[in-house]
Amino acid sequence: MKDINEDIAWAKINQDVLKSLENPRKLYWVIVLSALAVFSVGVGCEVYQYNVGMGVANLNNPHVWGLYIATFIFWIGMSHSGTLLSAILHLMHADWRKPIYRFAEAMTTFSLMTAGLFVMVHIGRLWQFYYSLPYPNERGLWPNFQSPLLWDAMAIFTYLSSSILFLYVGMIPDLAIARDNIHEGWRKKLYSALALGWEGTDRQWRNFRVTYLTIACFLIPLAVSVHSIVASDFAMSQQPGWHVTSFPPYFVAGALYSGCAAIITLFIILRYVFRFEEYMTLPILKKTVRLTFAISMVWTYLNAVEFASVWYSHDEASKAVLIQKATGPYAPFWWGMIFCGSVVPLVLAIKRFQTSIPVLFVVSLLLNLGMWLERWMIVAPTFSHGYYPWTWDHDQWPSLVQWGMVLGSFGWFTLLFMIFCKVFPSVSMYEVKEMVYHRKLHSKKSESQGAH
Amino acid sequence: MSVTNLLENWSQFRHFHPVDDKPHDPYKWAMSIDLDACTGCNACSVACYAENNIPVVGKERFSHGQQMHWIRIERYWDEDQNAVGGRDFPDQGAQFLPMMCQQCEAAPCETVCPVAATNHTSDGLNSQVYNRCIGSRYCSANCPFKVRYFNWYDYPSDDAWPAEMSQQLNPDVTVRGKGVMEKCTFCIQRVNEAKVKAKSEGRLVRDGEIQTACQQVCPTSAISFGNLVDTESRVHKQWEAQKVELDKDKQEKDEQEGGSKLRGYRILEELRPYPSVMYLERVRESAV
Amino acid sequence: MSQRHILALFSNFDEAEAVVKELRTSQIKGFDVDKDMVVKSPIEHPEVEEFLGDKPVYVQWFTLVGAVLGGLLGFFLISGAQANFYAQLKGGKPIVPLPPNFVLTYEMFILGGVFITILGFLICAGLPARRSPLYSAKVSEDQIGILVQVDESAARALKEIFTKHQALEIQEEAGK
Repeated sequence: MKDINEDIAWAKINQDVLKSLENPRKLYWVIVLSALAVFSVGVGCEVYQYNVGMGVANLNNPHVWGLYIATFIFWIGMSHSGTLLSAILHLMHADWRKPIYRFAEAMTTFSLMTAGLFVMVHIGRLWQFYYSLPYPNERGLWPNFQSPLLWDAMAIFTYLSSSILFLYVGMIPDLAIARDNIHEGWRKKLYSALALGWEGTDRQWRNFRVTYLTIACFLIPLAVSVHSIVASDFAMSQQPGWHVTSFPPYFVAGALYSGCAAIITLFIILRYVFRFEEYMTLPILKKTVRLTFAISMVWTYLNAVEFASVWYSHDEASKAVLIQKATGPYAPFWWGMIFCGSVVPLVLAIKRFQTSIPVLFVVSLLLNLGMWLERWMIVAPTFSHGYYPWTWDHDQWPSLVQWGMVLGSFGWFTLLFMIFCKVFPSVSMYEVKEMVYHRKLHSKKSESQGAH
Repeated sequence: MSVTNLLENWSQFRHFHPVDDKPHDPYKWAMSIDLDACTGCNACSVACYAENNIPVVGKERFSHGQQMHWIRIERYWDEDQNAVGGRDFPDQGAQFLPMMCQQCEAAPCETVCPVAATNHTSDGLNSQVYNRCIGSRYCSANCPFKVRYFNWYDYPSDDAWPAEMSQQLNPDVTVRGKGVMEKCTFCIQRVNEAKVKAKSEGRLVRDGEIQTACQQVCPTSAISFGNLVDTESRVHKQWEAQKVELDKDKQEKDEQEGGSKLRGYRILEELRPYPSVMYLERVRESAV
Repeated sequence: MSQRHILALFSNFDEAEAVVKELRTSQIKGFDVDKDMVVKSPIEHPEVEEFLGDKPVYVQWFTLVGAVLGGLLGFFLISGAQANFYAQLKGGKPIVPLPPNFVLTYEMFILGGVFITILGFLICAGLPARRSPLYSAKVSEDQIGILVQVDESAARALKEIFTKHQALEIQEEAGK
């Protein structure tokens, strides 16, 4: 089976993709409105917490971090696959990324925005948030550059702004197409402004190619550094269960893993909602699934390495945390993480399921559940079994406020994503054309060689 | 200009404390707590609540673990009741340990604060700047002793001090609002008062001039507090007698084969936070 | 002398290539291939660049400058702030600690690189720009456009070349 049918007329590509920008179907509105409803639950929780105090999250004194931090890592992690598809696969000339990278890149941007919200809701004095920004002021006060949290802020700012620019630059030719084809309303103005007068001249394309490649080169080390820095929040601390050398690569692998799983989920949803069957084809899905499977095994391996190195060490405190994870009050979630993260992906190895949409939909959701549990299992158990015995008999269970905000973040993400898909082309038209063109050229070449 | 300052004083900015830094002078506040004298009466904790305007959170919030005791009495039992010659009930081997901020010389909480709200002061304390704190709670997450307490609610407006009770608040100590981290300060208000007084009289603070609230109420005088630099101070003498040195992560008694007669130890020394509190208690096998 | 713009659309690259080659060899008076001709295409296409010949791209120099400046700015801003901020001891670490500053310098290096690259792209590609006098939406769909600017007198010869190579459409507009 071919990744894409090479006989698709270019004009049809334009038509099909631009159709996704017009006349939302009923299903679209249902998704948007329910996302809005879910998001308002989160907003309500935050308003309540802001007014009453962090205590309503039911965090307590040894357990000062909870689901907010865990979900923060989850969303940061999810953002990594966009870069994987758009930058790494671009450098490797993997053609099949072309129809699906745009929405993955959008996912990167929006999940970073979602992660940013968790920084806000986590801190105790949101109204003093600006203290953590390095702005010059007459008091000569600066944030503490030694703090991994500040590195986080810097890395996320860099990553978010670079991703937005990357997404935008890659979209300019498509915005020009939209400009040429949509002739009325605010959309016309929007596309005309954003297309910057792009005409596809030779000069524009040459500079475009170099720029795109350069930013792709920057984004790869940036993405790796972002999640290693998030890992540093833990690895740079002294706590047992956090102070682990292998955390940065482990986090990066986990990030790519959950991101790929999310790509499969969104792939299936977009394919159905916008009828993109011709572009988001099953062979492409299959390739994504195989990639996800490979990364899941990397993650499993790094997980095993972490456990093994703790197990064989003489670090009794870390060992105690590990044992407590596997047997203590968190055991169901910890084993759930192992099951969802390492056992469920085995389904992806079976060829029959690699293109079965219902199976993949369920599996991809389970994988992400597993990855969310992983983040929670990194954050929480250390607090209830730290160095100091006083912490050992403290249990903590997140309150509904915390759960509400976790839920709300999914609403926020869905909302942003759905709006993006309606306003901007979620399939890269010009790159699908390139893909079709190259395939055609290739098959022509091999035909003529066969004739000789 | 900051860059010139940076380049000119480069070497000054590049050393580790306390191992290759000059020791604090003329003050380094430190404590020693004799666990053999501690009866676990909790008077220190009560005194601390009164002195430092710590909110009493109430039953329900306490049960949620949102308590604010800057100094807490920890109880440990000997678990030898089933062993040969062991005790009949675990409570018989009860041991108490008052735990408060250890005022580490190299505090793990300081490096991680994103807004630099917690710093090492020139008299060797770990300061907490309430106004600067944004409540990321990273300091508490990274504190090995878990002695930092977060204001989960707005206690001043939450009736933590109903009506007349607000009259008993200590005017020398701020009342903290919601969303800030707080912890033991070694009664910094008393320290500063004495320092200012001594300075106006052109002398150094004398030993015994400052008493922390917990020290003051301790019925068995288990707690002593003072200036470690002052060779005449009680704390200095105790530290010296126990051969505990501030800037070492392994003390002399740890080197001795087969245990030592010395009783002084600092908690979690091997993590190298270099705590300023020394506890006096022979470490026994049965208590491990 | 009065100039005019002519836009010819072609259905595939081979024809466009043939046109460009012919324009190069034919010596039409007052028409310079490198100056007066613009090729527009709906996709990024290396073959176009081949037959148009090498043209230098300077974006990567912006990248270099941006990245280096970003990194330097990062390091000195951070270290300078640390040294000036009451030179306050934290956690026993040096006041200007190198590992954290390296991490932040690295981020600033990338930030500077990306931002200035985009700036360089806009400058080098001449964006944002007004669209040229003749523009067809077909170019963003599936056709190759060749836009030329010539003297009135040479217009005829050019149009002949375009028609010879099966131009789908020829638009013209009187210039100034």
